[in-house]
Amino acid sequence: MPLNEITAAAQPSVSSAVKRSVRSSPLQRWNKGKYLLLLFLPTLLYYLMFKYAPMFGLMISFKNYNLFKGIWASDWVGLKYYRLFLNNPDSFLLIKNTFLLGLYKLVFGFPAPIVLAILMNEVKNAFFKRFVQTVSYLPHFISNVVVAGMVILFLSPSSGVVNHMLQAFGLDPINFMVKPDLFRPVYVLSEIWQHVGWETIIYLAALTSIDPQLYEASEMDGAGRWKKIVHVTLPGITPAIVILLILNVGHVLDIGFEKVFLLYNPAVYETADIISTYVYRTGIGQGNYSYATAIDLFTGIVSLVFIYSANWISRKVGDTSLW
Amino acid sequence: MRKGLPIFIAAGMIVTTFAGCSSKGDDRAAATPTPGGEGATAVKEQTFTFLDNSHPSWPYNKDALVWKLFKEKTGVTLDVQVPSGKIEDALSVTVASGNLPDLMFTLSKGLADKYGQQGALVNILDYAKDMPNFKKWMSEHPTETQNALSSDGKMYLFPNQGIGETNRMNWMYREDVFKKLGLSEPQTWDDLYASLKKIKEAYPKSYPLSFRSGLQYIRNFAPAFQTGHDMYYSFEQKTWRYGPVEDNYKKLIEYLNKFYKEGLIPPDFLSVDTKVWQDLMSTDRAFVTVDYIGRIDFFNSALRKDNPAFNLAFMATPAGWSGGPRKNAYTQYVEAGFMVSSTSKKIKDVMKFFDFFYTEEGRNLVSWGKEGTTYQTVNGKKQFIEKYADVADLRKKTGLSTDGAYILFDYDAHLSLSSPELQTAYKQAPQYDSEQQPRPAFTPEEMEILSTVGDTITKKRDENITKFILGERSLDEWPKYVEEMKKLGLDKITEIYKTAHDRSQKAQQK
Repeated sequence: MPLNEITAAAQPSVSSAVKRSVRSSPLQRWNKGKYLLLLFLPTLLYYLMFKYAPMFGLMISFKNYNLFKGIWASDWVGLKYYRLFLNNPDSFLLIKNTFLLGLYKLVFGFPAPIVLAILMNEVKNAFFKRFVQTVSYLPHFISNVVVAGMVILFLSPSSGVVNHMLQAFGLDPINFMVKPDLFRPVYVLSEIWQHVGWETIIYLAALTSIDPQLYEASEMDGAGRWKKIVHVTLPGITPAIVILLILNVGHVLDIGFEKVFLLYNPAVYETADIISTYVYRTGIGQGNYSYATAIDLFTGIVSLVFIYSANWISRKVGDTSLW
Repeated sequence: MRKGLPIFIAAGMIVTTFAGCSSKGDDRAAATPTPGGEGATAVKEQTFTFLDNSHPSWPYNKDALVWKLFKEKTGVTLDVQVPSGKIEDALSVTVASGNLPDLMFTLSKGLADKYGQQGALVNILDYAKDMPNFKKWMSEHPTETQNALSSDGKMYLFPNQGIGETNRMNWMYREDVFKKLGLSEPQTWDDLYASLKKIKEAYPKSYPLSFRSGLQYIRNFAPAFQTGHDMYYSFEQKTWRYGPVEDNYKKLIEYLNKFYKEGLIPPDFLSVDTKVWQDLMSTDRAFVTVDYIGRIDFFNSALRKDNPAFNLAFMATPAGWSGGPRKNAYTQYVEAGFMVSSTSKKIKDVMKFFDFFYTEEGRNLVSWGKEGTTYQTVNGKKQFIEKYADVADLRKKTGLSTDGAYILFDYDAHLSLSSPELQTAYKQAPQYDSEQQPRPAFTPEEMEILSTVGDTITKKRDENITKFILGERSLDEWPKYVEEMKKLGLDKITEIYKTAHDRSQKAQQK
């Protein structure tokens, strides 16, 4: 998590101070930064091994990949697999579903932990605060398989808790899992329930770095609770919010395959079938790795465009950005 | 989970090349091939490496008796590795690493054909001349032989026979409840509907007909309506047809829609998994079902403890209409089997080893074990010495009929452990068998179309059929749905099936 970036962003004076110092030779810089670089080495190795090296495997999306012969010996087929995907009558729907599901998750799921963190920050009773925090991040440790099972069970039209409540209010039971227009809300809400507590942690960390004197000063000026949140707390965690927002925008198309796969059924394909479930059915399921990789790279490029635009916008609008 | 699975596999490959990957030292001395003398009794001690599947219910056990029996008879020790995850993933990583064990096990023939055509596997037919028993078996079983061929006319996995009976599926009903309510066995789907309604009246909280896995079991209903749930071969018309756009199929869907509306099937039948289904069946909330025939014993032996009257019995397949076919889908086959790596240094020896399993002696060994140790012959009938609770118990205790331990199989071994009811069911069931569907092998190009266009068609079928059943789409729109399906490229798919079928027919005549 880019905590270091956040602190760096919060203290622009440090980086500019470095820039203003006298130009030193590369060797001097190397000597100065030796130990820092050593600290960085494991990270570098990790990225080289697990992020950059596999990129060479992206080649298979332009080849008819023969597992046994290996990547080099497989025949080139150009853009065949990209064409195959874009010619699929469903490809637009898949991209749309993926994008919308991701967008909903961002629009509703992103503010949730911020609100929760601020609310927790207002709680004075330390025990209660701890308790709420623990309870709210517990679901993060439940596996997707179990969560999906719980969702289906709770929403079951015959025995689900939710429908029992609806009936108690004299309403008709709803068959949630077969209504295409309810799939996204169900998915997003379960997603929020699962991860909201976990995501508050970083905001709570950012909140601790706000200078208490600011609160005192604003109180002197006659700010109430609400005003303090608006004028001290929120600006204090704005850098963290912006950085996380940019990172999240890049993940819009990166929806976890597992949960959708566990929750969907043929009745809700029109809203629930997303790129990754499609790749699973046609690529991985059938051992069609070239095709799966082509779709993957395509998605990756779209994500890159997103994150780039988000960064560009935030640079124009605010003063925090990733680069 | 990231979505970059293919990349992940690539990463795995790269890491393994870094790490040198070999968990087992390359101490494979090239075995000197021995001339394949028939009926040679002198066994040569040797070891084959083997990537095997491990079934969750009866996992691979190194010390299982069956492996000792193998060694005793053939001199072969199988040095088994089991995957940490799914066998399919393990196979792809293994093939990609280029470091292949002598033998590999697959659960699907499609994978064997794929890797075979990529050059990773031995064409077994090339060695048929060294395998007298296998050759003889092939000439006696042309259908099984043909079903094991790949689209290029080669054979990349050893065909099996006999164990498929374990996958037999049919209708079952709560005979005690039917009797109590004065209902008789339904002969047609109309009878079935009437019976289900009666049961629903008596047990308002129940969903009398329940089955697992959503739409999957429609394939079991379809033959009674003279149709199929997918592409099927019509033996009468000698053509391939797509079931889900036929009028007969619509009749079936009309019934299911009616059942759904009146609460005769669970409202959430799409998400009824095995566990939910078992709950329904064992708590008097479902009384008619379709599943593996062995479920008769599974439920009866568990539930008679509390309810001695409980009797889940075999039910004759109801006909789709009066005078219609009373047929079940043909599910009693297993595609799984052994593949031999093309890189193996011991191919000749491996083939000799497998030839043994196509003898009567080999069949007996994998089915019953060893006389005096696991089974005895009483009045000319074989029976197991130990009292195993069921087949799963036998598998766990001896390793017999677990993955990688069967080829030709004598199903009587399993039947000997069944209750009298199940044995009766097995006697009755075959008269409701539909003819075994041909399973043509596809070329990689055809597979590509099937997995893209075919997937779209299947998806649209599932989506629409679901909506028809749930009443979200009116059945009046059926013709429109058929049009939509045709637009997606049904003809293309039908053509592929025809081509592949003709190809395999020609291969057979050779």
